Amino acid sequence: MLDSLFDDVKRMNKRQFIYQVLSFGMIVSSALMIWKGLMVVTGSESPIVVVLSGSMEPAFHRGDLLFLTNYPEEPVRVGEIVVFKVEGRDIPIVHRVLKLHEKNNGTVKFLTKGDNNSVDDRGLYAQGQLWLTKKDVVGRARGFLPYVGMVTIYMNEYPKFKFAVLACLAIYVLVHRE
Amino acid sequence: MTETKKTETPEVVKINKWDGAAAKNAVDDAVREVLTGDLKCKESFALIDGRLFLCALAVGVALYALLWDYLYPFPQSRLVLVICVSSYFVLMGVLTLYTTFKEKGIFVVARETVASGTRVWEASSYVKKHDDKYHLVLVLRDTNGKFREASINKSFANYIDSSGVVAQATVTSEITRLYNSLLSEKKEK
Repeated sequence: MLDSLFDDVKRMNKRQFIYQVLSFGMIVSSALMIWKGLMVVTGSESPIVVVLSGSMEPAFHRGDLLFLTNYPEEPVRVGEIVVFKVEGRDIPIVHRVLKLHEKNNGTVKFLTKGDNNSVDDRGLYAQGQLWLTKKDVVGRARGFLPYVGMVTIYMNEYPKFKFAVLACLAIYVLVHRE
Repeated sequence: MTETKKTETPEVVKINKWDGAAAKNAVDDAVREVLTGDLKCKESFALIDGRLFLCALAVGVALYALLWDYLYPFPQSRLVLVICVSSYFVLMGVLTLYTTFKEKGIFVVARETVASGTRVWEASSYVKKHDDKYHLVLVLRDTNGKFREASINKSFANYIDSSGVVAQATVTSEITRLYNSLLSEKKEK
């Protein structure tokens, strides 16, 4: 069975094999280029994020997919939901803007809080950081799709499952002559 | 022919004959074998190399974008990303045009040098989805740019026996027949 799996590959000549590898590469790069294209269009370094915690319930639940934009000309306002990065944390946080100070020259500093949390986010920020600024913002939530992100969450919780799925897909694409 | 000969020599290629793509690839390979082997033509790779070049260029552009974005994180890399993303999708479009209008399913181009110049043979094939008919077109182009074509439309059952082995002899005789009919047509005119 496993032997016959690789039969197609064994019978390929040099060019067919190169094409097989390149078409696998094109599948991966198409996904990559769509992502990079979204980055350019939305201005956000991560245009789609998955909500990982319940801290914004009832607005967002675990597993919701959020679509972000980050246009420099749009000011941040109190009540908006922003996604921001904190130094020393790998995963960005999705919370609502609670207080905001804006200077005449346009610089802003603001404080955030999760709708479902009892305290503001100062405890989550980096040591000694009291406010967030524009450079911390990844984007502002513009739309959401419920439940879809659960797939990502499961994949991250069971990395072995993720690698198994990815490996199967990769082998299928590489081995199967279209 | 009965199915008594089950002993496999390493040369025998067995395919899943219910898999349309696999069956087509196997017969395509057999046709290529005939043209480049029995009929002593030299395979020309320009057409497929063109496609490989387009694919490699597209993947290269994507890798370049990835590397650049890694070295100069997003807001800085914006211009390069715009250029890479748009050229990538343009390349994908070009690739689609190339395969539909230039390649048109041609899987082998073979050159044959004869006294009067060079003859170019192009074989292309297609199979409709969920159909057992293997449609093969053989085109002959001579140096004057004239071309003639002949085709066969037969079920895979003609080329592949019940155990999934391609009947090379049948393919050879079919291709030789097409080859000769195209050549004799030429002489009539």
